[in-house]
Amino acid sequence: MLKKIMSLALAAFIALTQLPAYAGAEVEIVFWHSMTEMAGESLEGLVDEFNRTVGAEKGIHVTAVYQGAYTEAVTKMNGMLSSGRPDSLPDVMQLDATGKVVYSGAEAAYTVDDLLGERPETDLSDYLPSALKNWNLNGVQLGIPFATSTTVTYYNKSVLDSFGVPAPVTLQDIGGIRAAVGDGYTVYAAVPNTPTLNNWLGQLGSDLVNCRNGSEGTADSLACIENGALETFLTVWKDLYATGALDNADASTDAFAAGQLLVMTSSSSKVAGLLGRIDGRFELGVCAYPRVNAEAANGATVSGSCLVMFDHGDERRQAAWELVSFLCGAESQVSFARATGYIPSCFSALESGAWQDFIAEYPQYEAAALQLRDTPENMLSATVGPSADFYYAIMNDVSDMLLDDLTPEETADMMAEDLGGMLEIYVKNNR
Amino acid sequence: MFAGDAGMQTVTAKKDNGKTSMARAGRLIKPYLFILPILVFAAGFVYYPFFKTFLYSFSTVNVMGEITSFTGLDNYRYLFSRREFGTAVSNTLRLTAMNVPLTMFFTLLLGRLLKEKRFLGGLFETMIAATMAVSMGSAALTFRVMLNPTVGWINSALGLGVRWYEDRNTALYGILLLTVWMGIGFNFLLFLAAFRNVDRDVTDQARLDGAGPVRVFLSVELPLVSPTLLYAVCTNTILALMTSGPIMILTRGGPSWSTTTLIYLMYTTGYGSGNYAMAACVAAVTFLLTLAFTLAGLWADGKRGDAR
Amino acid sequence: MKAQHGIRKKARLALWCAVCFCLAVPVVFPVMYAFLGSFRTAGEFSRLPPALFPDSFLNFDSYVQVFTRVPMARYFLNSLGTTALVCAVKICLSILAAYAFAFFEFRLKDLLFVVILGTMMLPADTLIITNYRTVSRMGLTNTWLGVAIVSFAGASQMFMLRQAFVQAPRALRDAAFMDGCGDMRFLWRILVPVCRPVVITLLMQAFVAQWNAYLWPLMVTDSDAMRTVQVGITMLTGAEDANYQVVLAGACAAMVPPVVLFITVRNRLTASMTRGAVSD
Repeated sequence: MLKKIMSLALAAFIALTQLPAYAGAEVEIVFWHSMTEMAGESLEGLVDEFNRTVGAEKGIHVTAVYQGAYTEAVTKMNGMLSSGRPDSLPDVMQLDATGKVVYSGAEAAYTVDDLLGERPETDLSDYLPSALKNWNLNGVQLGIPFATSTTVTYYNKSVLDSFGVPAPVTLQDIGGIRAAVGDGYTVYAAVPNTPTLNNWLGQLGSDLVNCRNGSEGTADSLACIENGALETFLTVWKDLYATGALDNADASTDAFAAGQLLVMTSSSSKVAGLLGRIDGRFELGVCAYPRVNAEAANGATVSGSCLVMFDHGDERRQAAWELVSFLCGAESQVSFARATGYIPSCFSALESGAWQDFIAEYPQYEAAALQLRDTPENMLSATVGPSADFYYAIMNDVSDMLLDDLTPEETADMMAEDLGGMLEIYVKNNR
Repeated sequence: MFAGDAGMQTVTAKKDNGKTSMARAGRLIKPYLFILPILVFAAGFVYYPFFKTFLYSFSTVNVMGEITSFTGLDNYRYLFSRREFGTAVSNTLRLTAMNVPLTMFFTLLLGRLLKEKRFLGGLFETMIAATMAVSMGSAALTFRVMLNPTVGWINSALGLGVRWYEDRNTALYGILLLTVWMGIGFNFLLFLAAFRNVDRDVTDQARLDGAGPVRVFLSVELPLVSPTLLYAVCTNTILALMTSGPIMILTRGGPSWSTTTLIYLMYTTGYGSGNYAMAACVAAVTFLLTLAFTLAGLWADGKRGDAR
Repeated sequence: MKAQHGIRKKARLALWCAVCFCLAVPVVFPVMYAFLGSFRTAGEFSRLPPALFPDSFLNFDSYVQVFTRVPMARYFLNSLGTTALVCAVKICLSILAAYAFAFFEFRLKDLLFVVILGTMMLPADTLIITNYRTVSRMGLTNTWLGVAIVSFAGASQMFMLRQAFVQAPRALRDAAFMDGCGDMRFLWRILVPVCRPVVITLLMQAFVAQWNAYLWPLMVTDSDAMRTVQVGITMLTGAEDANYQVVLAGACAAMVPPVVLFITVRNRLTASMTRGAVSD
């Protein structure tokens, strides 16, 4: 008896859990993405919309599949490439900086340059140059920017207003907040890492590593030692710590949303999530990434992810490009930006009425786009081979300077040795 | 190596006169047939892939995972020269040295306490065993919220000012707390089963002989559950030496390398940095270290058994 | 005299309860904390001072999200299927190997034992790419068997079972063989039932480990229809700034099968040796 009930229940369960199989479209393509939470929901909504509109019209059906975080998707891509199963690769894939090298080495890759060779009439001028350039490796345009973000400053506008303190512009301004608000709050929490340090060095007119920050070849040494940029930054950083305004720890979104931490620098893609977390307890302010000092340039580099394509024959190649153009086009970009905080990465989106209306209502979303506009063209994000090692070595070395009271000069030497050594090994392994 | 086994063999070694050599050959092969299935899977899905990674550690490997040349011990030399390596070894050993005794102490205590079935005993049992069901990821996230210095309940309720995962002096203890907690459910159940298997007559007799409860526990019950204890010590040591999951989620090896363990180093210096050869070196070093500890444990147990 | 004895007994029971309570509550506290957290809203997580209880126990939003945002029912089925497969094969293989290590003398015994134990000492992530190649060459990607096959060798279970078998009364085997039992019959009909508590505990361990597996199931399946529960939960949350309430709701939902399993088998965990032996 029990067995019968069990098997019936199981049969019902299986029937209920079957996914509807899609049939009818002429071209079936697969899209791998790495977006979770609100971003994932928004992205999947966009793909559904594509299937309903453009797809239905042109006989294309897209299946969007989550493949884990960026690095996990890259591991999988690597596995498929090395096991000789390029057929299992998707038609379109969302890729972040960690996947650039593996993708560019893949035979099945269908880069934007390949596309341009096939269809010279393709126009890329609508995409923001700074975002587009981020996905160019050794002169080859790999993909089209999809989720574009930059590092911005978040601050607790309610508290700063109540003490009459304006939004901070430079790191010195942040130091000044401590004196104004007293000891009841943590003013600013941060430990520099690859992109944030690179931003500050970029403002001082220096790259972090050589070969134009790794964009024109594999970097093998630091480019910020001889010009003194690293030491300048470290001096400012140490002074900031001395004011008591800097907490030598990664910013905690929890502490910020709780109103305990007043300023943090973080990806612009967090706006929507932060607003939910703050839940109206205070007003969230968003402004440009802090400048190292009054002489420094404005801005911060671009990060995020792009969409790349794989070659699975003529028909699917065309369908893949349809999807990429749709997702990176104005309407999708605005809708994705509204749901998350990523920056629309084409001019037509930024100029559209929908976006203008939206930022009029939620000014917090505007800061990132403005910053992208103001960032000097020659400021590039840093591409280094030993990415994880490099990232944590910067954090730990700078943190040790504050905790062990090293001089900026000693710290710069230590970093040149630590980080330079990692770059050399990487070059040796990949010659 | 395995003390106390010898007596069991008398059965199989029973007189076999008159049997053919075929049967004798069958008997020789028989043990291997029992082990063969597990060996096939161990070889195919663990040793074969590991052998390939092991080769990496003596080679130059590019970011695509292709071996480009043979370099001998260069990779190991580079690994040993890295400042983080020494820190990682010391963190790993410290974590293990604290984790194993703590886990053993708590789970032995809990197992012994709940041995007798009493009022509410089933409830306590279920409460403790339920922790086993929590995945590492969920556990790490729960600890992150719970121990958050600002919005976590623990610090505010107990009036603590500890910054847990944000302070280089406490982060390792925060990781320890989580890893010990993760081990409680399973080890507790094993010890519970082991204590309940102890023959009542033996403990009653000891008590009649005038031994106090502590003495009965130490000199009667503990030796009787020692096979389980050996297993628990060995496996917990192995797991502790390979700690990495909680670190990836909670501290990423920081602050200031204070929670960088060997296997975590494998991720940052290896996979995270496109350096497969380095990942292979760390994995090989960790394997040898873990193997040495395990062999030492089994050997010590064998010695103890011989002395008995 | 007798009444006094009764009072002392009661006092001792009360003390025992108090001690157990003081130990069990901190142990289970994180689980309770996760459960309470699953009813909160995103905003509540950052409110000061931190509260233990949610504003409302009727806020099921996170659970609704867990089961509607992704096809979670399908993921549960996949998790159950792969987990059952792993548990069954893993325990059977371990029982066979443990029997050999406990009862036979053979030349490579110590070496092979350490070789099997060694599988625990290799980080799974170093094996992933090669295993992916093997499994895809076998044509097993996107199948339950493909997810399960890499976990069939259970060194931990084999080790513990060997320890349990060694402890089993020696007279059992002698008696069984006198009665004409062969190895297989003795093993499955007598030894395994006698060691039932350990076998069930190990079964639970294998269950939980596979139920909570993440990376390999993600790697070896490409399609949404083959995904497992843990992959589903990560889809609901960002890596760094997690949607705590949703993850906790997902974790609590994912805990149900293992906990139900435990409560069902709990009574079997405590069967004493003699009872186990007699019942067969």
